[in-house]
Amino acid sequence: MFKSLIDDNEKRSQLSIMAQYLNTSFMISTKENEYLVNIEKGVVKNVEEGPFVMPSYVFKLTAPKNEWIKFLQHTPEPGSHDIIAMLRRKVLKFEGDLHPLMSHLLYFKLLLASLRPVESKNEN
Amino acid sequence: MKIEKEPISGQYGKFKIDGIDYRIYWEEAGQGIPLVCLHTAGSDGRQYRALLNDKKILEKFRVIVFDMPWHGKSSPPENAKVGNYKLSTDFYISQIMSFINGLELVKPVIMGCSIGGRIILHLAINFPDKFRALIGLQSAGHLDPYYDISWLHRQDVHGGEVCGGIAYGLMAPTSPESDKFETMWHYMQGGPGIFKGDLFFYKFDGNIGNEIKKIDISKCPIYLLTGEYDYSATPEETKSLADTIGIEMIKMKNVGHFPMSENPKEFLKYLHPVLNKIS
Repeated sequence: MFKSLIDDNEKRSQLSIMAQYLNTSFMISTKENEYLVNIEKGVVKNVEEGPFVMPSYVFKLTAPKNEWIKFLQHTPEPGSHDIIAMLRRKVLKFEGDLHPLMSHLLYFKLLLASLRPVESKNEN
Repeated sequence: MKIEKEPISGQYGKFKIDGIDYRIYWEEAGQGIPLVCLHTAGSDGRQYRALLNDKKILEKFRVIVFDMPWHGKSSPPENAKVGNYKLSTDFYISQIMSFINGLELVKPVIMGCSIGGRIILHLAINFPDKFRALIGLQSAGHLDPYYDISWLHRQDVHGGEVCGGIAYGLMAPTSPESDKFETMWHYMQGGPGIFKGDLFFYKFDGNIGNEIKKIDISKCPIYLLTGEYDYSATPEETKSLADTIGIEMIKMKNVGHFPMSENPKEFLKYLHPVLNKIS
């Protein structure tokens, strides 16, 4: 589900400018699967899919798979369009050292939103 | 080269608010019924740029937008210190009343968004006879904190970046990117701790409980409009507020927390009929 964060890095060059001093690892959990994302100088360098035995990361974003699916629609519904909106509905949990996330909040929002399809299609 | 001039004029003035002098900046355009617009927490009057340029509205309304103290082009007071700003309900009411009295506005319409949408409820409770009508955008009676607002003012996090990031998510994915960017940019330009200081009013001091029941719409009509993508003041919360007051709310499609700024075209479709009723 999040493996493709490693793809199309050249299309995200503008995004990496927003996080040019950011080096971190974070975990995205769908509860069914986990994805360990490594970022160097604002560029996604590696995405590893779990299960993991001893994963090392700085912070973790956990939401059920169906909530991530709603977030990743071309035009998400209200309440699913933003990670803070999901936090507000208590379907997403932020854990760990949140400094990299909060100091680059827009970057992470846009990075995750970059996985949305460019073209609108049947979203049922 | 011919430039496209806007009908807006800006001015500065000294206003006494709770006994202290404040240098306030405001913009206005149009003539007729005074319509004072209140910007959101951590932003400034530029959010109403489309209203100040809307020919239809300017025919009947004198649209006036002031930057709150510490915001936009308005100054902090004398002897101000970084980190000391905290918006209280009383101070918010005082600055609005000082502004209205200072400009000698008679029975203006007040329209506020977010914190402005909250304060109009306090105005309705305390001064119902002073206004021709009140319009609340993204109004809710109270808001329980849902994220840790200390992130908005920390020396190890760039305030403009984090405040912009918070504001960006409150807008609809369907709003035009250029208007979303400008709305976010206003947040990125706020002073350290100002957004957080405003949220003290929004999430704590300005919460209204049963006092809502004191609002008497026969003394002053109230209109409530909320964008469907707002997760701060949700349409459900505005609906609950509207039910308590005994009015209908208007749910606006395809907009979020900053209707007048993130998608003015869509917003004006909803606002024109409301202003027609008021005029």
